Amino acid sequence: MQRKNNGENMKQDAFSKLHPAVNLLFFIGAICFGVLLQHPVYLLAGILASGVYYFFLNGRKGLKNILLMIPLFIFVTLFNPVVNTRGVTVLFTYFDRPYTLEALIYGVAVAATFVLMILWFGCYGKVLTGDKFTCLFGNLAPSLSLLLVMVFRMIPNLLQKAKQIIGVRSSIGKGTAENSSLKDKLHSGMTVIGVLTSWALEGSIATSDSMRSRGYGTAKRTSFTVYRMSKTDWILAAVMPVMVSVVIGFAASGGMNAEFLPERNITPIKGFNIIGFIAYLGYLMIPTLLHIKEVIQWKISKSKI
Amino acid sequence: MKKSNIAMLIVFLALIPLTLFLGDKLPGKGYYITGILIIIELSVPFFMMFEKRKPQARELVVLAVMIALAVIGRVAIPIPHFKAVFAIIMLTGIAFGPEAGFIVGAITAFASNFFYGQGAYMPWQMMAYGAGGMLAGFVFIGNKKRKPWVMAIFGFLANVLWIGPILDTSHIFIIMPEINLEAFIASLASGFPVNVSQGISTAIMMLVFGKPLLEKLDRVKQKYGMPDHKSGN
Repeated sequence: MQRKNNGENMKQDAFSKLHPAVNLLFFIGAICFGVLLQHPVYLLAGILASGVYYFFLNGRKGLKNILLMIPLFIFVTLFNPVVNTRGVTVLFTYFDRPYTLEALIYGVAVAATFVLMILWFGCYGKVLTGDKFTCLFGNLAPSLSLLLVMVFRMIPNLLQKAKQIIGVRSSIGKGTAENSSLKDKLHSGMTVIGVLTSWALEGSIATSDSMRSRGYGTAKRTSFTVYRMSKTDWILAAVMPVMVSVVIGFAASGGMNAEFLPERNITPIKGFNIIGFIAYLGYLMIPTLLHIKEVIQWKISKSKI
Repeated sequence: MKKSNIAMLIVFLALIPLTLFLGDKLPGKGYYITGILIIIELSVPFFMMFEKRKPQARELVVLAVMIALAVIGRVAIPIPHFKAVFAIIMLTGIAFGPEAGFIVGAITAFASNFFYGQGAYMPWQMMAYGAGGMLAGFVFIGNKKRKPWVMAIFGFLANVLWIGPILDTSHIFIIMPEINLEAFIASLASGFPVNVSQGISTAIMMLVFGKPLLEKLDRVKQKYGMPDHKSGN
């Protein structure tokens, strides 16, 4: 799995190439706003922005995942009135409990928030890879990030060892097939984990002895990262807080209020309030716009050749 | 526990009511953010204690091996819905103490998110897995016998009554439109069958695999002199 990720890093998109701090700031903002702003128009903007970027990051497979959100969306929408009985317009009653129109409409907003969170977290997982995370927090928590780095390195290593063990076992006639009984599979699996544990623990002692003989723990650990703040990073680091404050300002002044229960009361997006919406949409579109900009630049420079 | 550690714990615990108070003023589904902040406030002291102790290379590498094993546990046993991860975390807690159990649990949840996709429930997962490892460490402190069937019963109960419910509370924050008793009961009820099935997996793992794995970990401890961490140094 790790190997696949490394291969994809070769053609990573423009936003992923930025400094990890900028990436992290963007996602904190996008996810917090997505959760806090319940206005339908803002939710729609959030779903569109996250969906488009998710599609850019994941390609055709991403589109399939986005389509899978639709049944989830419907389920969460229909489920909401079951736990939420407030609302004025009663559609029908079951077991003496009302199923209200307002709760159903609120369910749409809840489902939208849910889908939006899944999409943003999906993008986050693709953009903020393990190395970026340890780059950000390596100085803050050196032991923990060293632990994390070792785990990331050990997972593919152990997977390979597990495959070797399974291969050896099947070649001496102790392997399991699809039609093996549950007991056999379980027993075989336990043996594989047991062998793997012994192997990995013995190896870990060699690793730690080697670390000690190279002076681990004798001085402060320094860390190397390939990430430097570029011009785009500085511009974004300046622009993003401004956009965030604009959105917070309009939100605080009630420009994006939306109440669903017990009665619908949604502030229309018009006049002065449009500025807040543009700031929000602009913020969310940062990764997508960077991606499009790079594609266009690539097309132009290719046509020059 | 050291005095400085207690002071740190108190500071973070004092932050929780403040977070609840301010979080209540957030619009929309602000309680999701409040929930995450509280989980961070609960777990940061444990991470800081680990960090302040400046763990040795040997300890770090062994913990890393256990975490990696827990993450890939589902690859080694080709049975759907059979999860080895909780048993491995708990056994680490039993062998190396509550602190190691928490670290292994929390980092396992964190690292597996990088491999199997990030989700909004990640902070709850870290908390639940970490709490599971820690509980195992506390329950089996100084208990040298560690009978497999005792560990199996413990594993089942810990999944159904401790790890599972902590994980299920994430549904309240993520899917439920508002936090009330009904949402709470609905979340716990919806998670119950999954928790029972995971509890059974853990119990089976403990019965079959508990003793051999503990023997291996004890052997590493004895042979190479791994520091044996009793609770709170």
